Amino acid sequence: MATIKEFLATDHRRCDEMFADMENRASESLESAKSIATEFVNETEKHFQMEERVMFLEFETKTGMTQGPTAMMRQEHTQMRSLMVQLLEAIENDNKDKFFGLSETLMILLQQHNMKEEQMLYPMAQQHLSAESERIVAMMESIIVE
Amino acid sequence: MQFKGLSTDQAPPISAPLRFFLTAPIFGIIAGILILLSDASFLISRYSLDSIVITHIITIGFFSFVMFGALTQMLPVLAGAKMYRVELATKIAYIIMTAGLVMMIIGLVFTSSIFTMFSFISLGSGFMIMITSTLYAIKNIDNITATIRGMATSMFFAFIIVLMGLFLLYAYISNDYSELHIVIANIHSVMAIFGFVGILIIGVSFQVLPMFYVAPKFKLFCKNYVMSLISIGLFIWLLLNFFADEYSIIGKFWIALFFWAFATTVWKKLNERKRPISDVTIWYWRASSIFLTVGSFLWIFDEFLETEYIVMVAILIGGSILSILIGMLYKIIPFLVWFHLNAMGYMSIPTITEMIDKDLAITQYIFFIFSIIVFGFSFYLPYLLDLSAISFIISMALLEYNILAPVLLYRRTKKTKPDFDMSMFQ
Repeated sequence: MATIKEFLATDHRRCDEMFADMENRASESLESAKSIATEFVNETEKHFQMEERVMFLEFETKTGMTQGPTAMMRQEHTQMRSLMVQLLEAIENDNKDKFFGLSETLMILLQQHNMKEEQMLYPMAQQHLSAESERIVAMMESIIVE
Repeated sequence: MQFKGLSTDQAPPISAPLRFFLTAPIFGIIAGILILLSDASFLISRYSLDSIVITHIITIGFFSFVMFGALTQMLPVLAGAKMYRVELATKIAYIIMTAGLVMMIIGLVFTSSIFTMFSFISLGSGFMIMITSTLYAIKNIDNITATIRGMATSMFFAFIIVLMGLFLLYAYISNDYSELHIVIANIHSVMAIFGFVGILIIGVSFQVLPMFYVAPKFKLFCKNYVMSLISIGLFIWLLLNFFADEYSIIGKFWIALFFWAFATTVWKKLNERKRPISDVTIWYWRASSIFLTVGSFLWIFDEFLETEYIVMVAILIGGSILSILIGMLYKIIPFLVWFHLNAMGYMSIPTITEMIDKDLAITQYIFFIFSIIVFGFSFYLPYLLDLSAISFIISMALLEYNILAPVLLYRRTKKTKPDFDMSMFQ
């Protein structure tokens, strides 16, 4: 089974693929990007919840760090959720300029966020939670989005 | 492992990078004005005073300012590390480096040893503050990535070139030129461009290209070995320069080969990027690849042409570096403004693509590329130099206007304090 780091990093790449697919379709028409955009938003939300409701909690319990990196990552999740809501609104309103402005902003925020997680938080989580890695990955896999 | 950078209250204040970024195009304008006022025949010699002054306005005032500004911001994002007392350190370094560069221009142009002496002290200390602050921040990082290694290697070369630069500057104060003056000046310039600037750009590209454009990651060989191989090449070239100058082309070939490979890889990665969006920053990366490729080859051939074309090499490679740095300014500044305002709770703000007028950014790009190409031709047709200088000044003024726009939006938003958008919390 994949480690926490591998599991979540692979999920980042999966969301990246969907994001690129969404932009590709949106450059043709926003209507055609609607379903992939919804899928991207849902899958990204699932990723956030796998972290917030499982991995971050385990990490915070183990290290006692509740105001550290996980708090910062949660804050960035909130920023991205706001952008994703606006992104879907732009599709509804068929506003291409707004859509690409939001997608560019979201993409950079997302990528720098992933970089911080993959290079700092995940290795540290793996280090502290290696003994429980299998259980945590299984919990993340089986999460039901709220 | 450090996490200081992963907390908004400990992230560097936006003013730390911005003060460096916003000053860089102003030095670009000053360099353009001096080119306009210079005689073309002086600029053809790399060792003329006019060439030395103009080169340093660009290399210190633009390259170093943008790179140091970016480092204050990149260390937390790419490494989770933060400079010690970043606001104070960058403020002091910024003030004395700006003053030092202005005094160096005055000191050299008007042959005033007092001004040159002050610039010797202030530029030396300013650089040392930034170099030691960066290395000190890197020292505590456990997870050393290729980008961090690039930053550390670049700072190592920065340290060497600053010492050499001070040695060279001192000759203008004492009026006593050592026998090694020309050799050291040559080593100083090659290590500055390929060691300090080149290695930092390569190291940062490993992260930035996949991050901004969702381009494929660089191969492990590139990440693990290329920067060390370039450093070895620089030292081989250095030794050959001192002890077997007739073979120094081997070192040159070694260094140029890796930079040409880098330029080609950047072009390929951009072709393979998953995001279809094309903007002025992509055009800047592509222009940079072309300038770097031509510049690297010309640098090797120049060896057989008795360094007749070294100024042309400098224009091409300088143009390549400027292209990447300008492109990055267009990406980083709107993002920083958006990120900081958003983190303060202002959710209903323009997106990063709305902060800079696209048409003006394209106009700026056209003026810039035109100025570099015409500058190259002015080597043969000196009367074109004025045209190139005017085009460069316009491009730098437009750049200043373009990057100031998001900063003014930041100030306006903070000042007028529009209602917070609380929709996310309802």
